[in-house]
Amino acid sequence: MSTPTQQLKELTSFKEDAPIRIQTLGQFTIWRSGEKIDPKEWGRDKTIQLLQYLVSNRGRNALHKEKIMDNLWEEGDDRDFKVALHGIHKVLEPERPARTEPTYVVRQGVSYQLNLDKIWIDIDILEKYIILGNQSFGIDNISAKEAYKNAIDIYQGTYLPNRIYEDWSSEEREKAQLLILSAYISLAEILLEENPLESIRLTQNALSIDATWEDAYRLQMRGYLAKGNRPQAIRTFQKCEQVLAEEYSVAPLPETKNLMKEIKEIN
Amino acid sequence: MSKKQDQTASFMVRFNQNIFEEDGESKVQWRGKISHVQEGDEQNFTDFNDALVFMQQKLANLTKEATKHKTTEQQEGILQKSLYMWKTMKEVGPKVLMETIKDPKKQLSQFQDQIQEQISSIGGEISEKVQIDEWRNASRSDYKKVKKSIAELSQQIELLSEKIDNIGKKK
Repeated sequence: MSTPTQQLKELTSFKEDAPIRIQTLGQFTIWRSGEKIDPKEWGRDKTIQLLQYLVSNRGRNALHKEKIMDNLWEEGDDRDFKVALHGIHKVLEPERPARTEPTYVVRQGVSYQLNLDKIWIDIDILEKYIILGNQSFGIDNISAKEAYKNAIDIYQGTYLPNRIYEDWSSEEREKAQLLILSAYISLAEILLEENPLESIRLTQNALSIDATWEDAYRLQMRGYLAKGNRPQAIRTFQKCEQVLAEEYSVAPLPETKNLMKEIKEIN
Repeated sequence: MSKKQDQTASFMVRFNQNIFEEDGESKVQWRGKISHVQEGDEQNFTDFNDALVFMQQKLANLTKEATKHKTTEQQEGILQKSLYMWKTMKEVGPKVLMETIKDPKKQLSQFQDQIQEQISSIGGEISEKVQIDEWRNASRSDYKKVKKSIAELSQQIELLSEKIDNIGKKK
């Protein structure tokens, strides 16, 4: 089994080597052999939607055509599906010789799936970095730090922001949000002593995604304390208290209150 | 005919568990967030009833929108029938959530029986269409089960609305 360092290298080189790169976080962009694809090439929106649907469901087994159509078309027929699929093949493999099998969207009978060995997808790689970070956390913090940093660099914002009202994209959006929150918190914890300012910044990023994430407030308090800024640590607690009261009508957890007590006792 | 999209409401529910010691005893607190996908709004909750009320409101809006061309009397009748099922869910839901944590399979089965009983009292035909047995197959986590259950219920609301729509037209 390869070491975390080797796995990090493999993930980095996959980004450079993959013939197709897809960005879904913050915006939807595709690169073909390193060149950004002009959105005009897509023609119909349904073609993009079909690809986004396949990306959103990439972790499942091959998706049955009927299921895809049921989710994407009100009253679509086979022809609509074929047109959209052909649109994807045309954009991803414009020079594919006739009567050869497509490389990126693979068909198995009447089911379809993306070839993840050849396509770099940001959300997929982000998850791999976080898994690597979690595996190394506490054992090899240098690798864990590197992995979380890479994950955070990949995160450019919400998953498929132009599809937030489509239910087929919700699960992946929720997953991406939880993944990035965990990366912010874990890296903030690793950096707490060696770089408290960066640790504070990371907790601020976590709170901008979810203002009720109590772990982030606690880490931020400890970050300000490490910087010798006791008043700001107290203000952070007060902010946490206020947000939790407004959103849940609850008080902070005993762990947070105890930390506040410790801060108050410092002279 | 209304578009399928206009007849669908999807919800994403997140639960965050906090276990802590306080006053010498172990406590657990659930913090949740429910989002309505089609409108994009969300609500935080610590009591699952609040999440159910949130869903109920969104579904009632959906029913109101779909029946706006009907008379006030007809609309109220449909809404009442629609809300009846939610009354059941609201009564049973929180209890199931707690018991599911203890014994997921057993409690889901009990939940199925309770819901099935309520649905049967609305109409046999509708009851046949409710595939509650499928809930048993969920395995990833308790959250997943709850999410799926909610999706199933929202589908049934849709069916119920259509059914009542058709009855209205026949009259």
